[in-house]
Amino acid sequence: MSGVRRFVRENSLSLGFGLLFLLSLAGQALAGAAQMNEDRQAEGLEPVSLVQYLTSSSFAVDVMENWQSEYLQFALYVFATVWLVQRGSPESKELHAVGTESDEEQRVGSHAREDSPPWVRAGGWRTTLFSRSLGLLFGGLFLLTWAASSVAGWAAYNVEQLQSHADPVSWVAYLGEADFWNRTFQNWQSEMLAVGSMAVFAVYLRQRGSPESKPVGASHHDTGATG
Amino acid sequence: MRTAVRWAAVLVVLAGCSDVHLPEAQQVASDFAAGDPVTRCDLLTEAAVRAVEHEEPTGCPVALEELPLGAGGVVSAQVWGQEAQVQLTDDTLFLSRTADGWRVAAAGCEASGQGRYDCLVEGS
Repeated sequence: MSGVRRFVRENSLSLGFGLLFLLSLAGQALAGAAQMNEDRQAEGLEPVSLVQYLTSSSFAVDVMENWQSEYLQFALYVFATVWLVQRGSPESKELHAVGTESDEEQRVGSHAREDSPPWVRAGGWRTTLFSRSLGLLFGGLFLLTWAASSVAGWAAYNVEQLQSHADPVSWVAYLGEADFWNRTFQNWQSEMLAVGSMAVFAVYLRQRGSPESKPVGASHHDTGATG
Repeated sequence: MRTAVRWAAVLVVLAGCSDVHLPEAQQVASDFAAGDPVTRCDLLTEAAVRAVEHEEPTGCPVALEELPLGAGGVVSAQVWGQEAQVQLTDDTLFLSRTADGWRVAAAGCEASGQGRYDCLVEGS
């Protein structure tokens, strides 16, 4: 097997979803531009080009409001599953393992192995930081994209204000507008539903070969098993 | 701190809150305020001209001559995406960016409460 083919095969999950992401984003861009021009035509305004749409606040807020909720979902899932468990779910760890677990179980401190990441073997603040790096990354990305969503949403809101012959508002005033919280909560609720559904359905249903499922023959009472 | 400010500026520009077009919008508003009815009609959006001519079939210039539109100087302006609001000393104008540049979408606008305006000239 050539080097390239092996690389593609061994990274097919990230490459596959990266490609699907780009195709979906392109689809959103084309459909969003078409919708914006339909709306502008109905209001007697000139159509915008695809480039103008891609640099518009309307496109930015549509992208950012979805990104922030996805990163919130993963940040909460990573943090919450340290403490919250679901009997029988492969999405949960064993019921007795609630909490941050021992150094031995987590292979840190004197239990670090030769192939452990360098910051695990380094000890001190590096190990402390690395021990929480996944949750911190998703939490940080959530805060960044939520902030970007608020700025883009503010700009898009002010465009609509001017189109309807009303005063633009400040960013702080926008944070108190129903538009911002409607965009935020409508995305959050769907993410919470998806996580909760996965945690529960995976107790009783199986997907042969998927690590997101228990082995097909596993008991409904088996918790934390993946197949 | 300087990095944070820079990032905030990038975010604002990416969000479409750019003042690159501010001088051009201000100039068109200024030309509109100082212009005669024919000039003003040339600076209206197509939708606004249609709305005016719907009310006054004899033509846009005749209709504008009868309306008490502002003629004062520019006090302040804001651009958001393809839209702008320009405050004159005696009027508020709303502009849209078209293929021909900035055009006045609404004029003779008076605040009607809660940040909204009623306008003598506006396209629908």
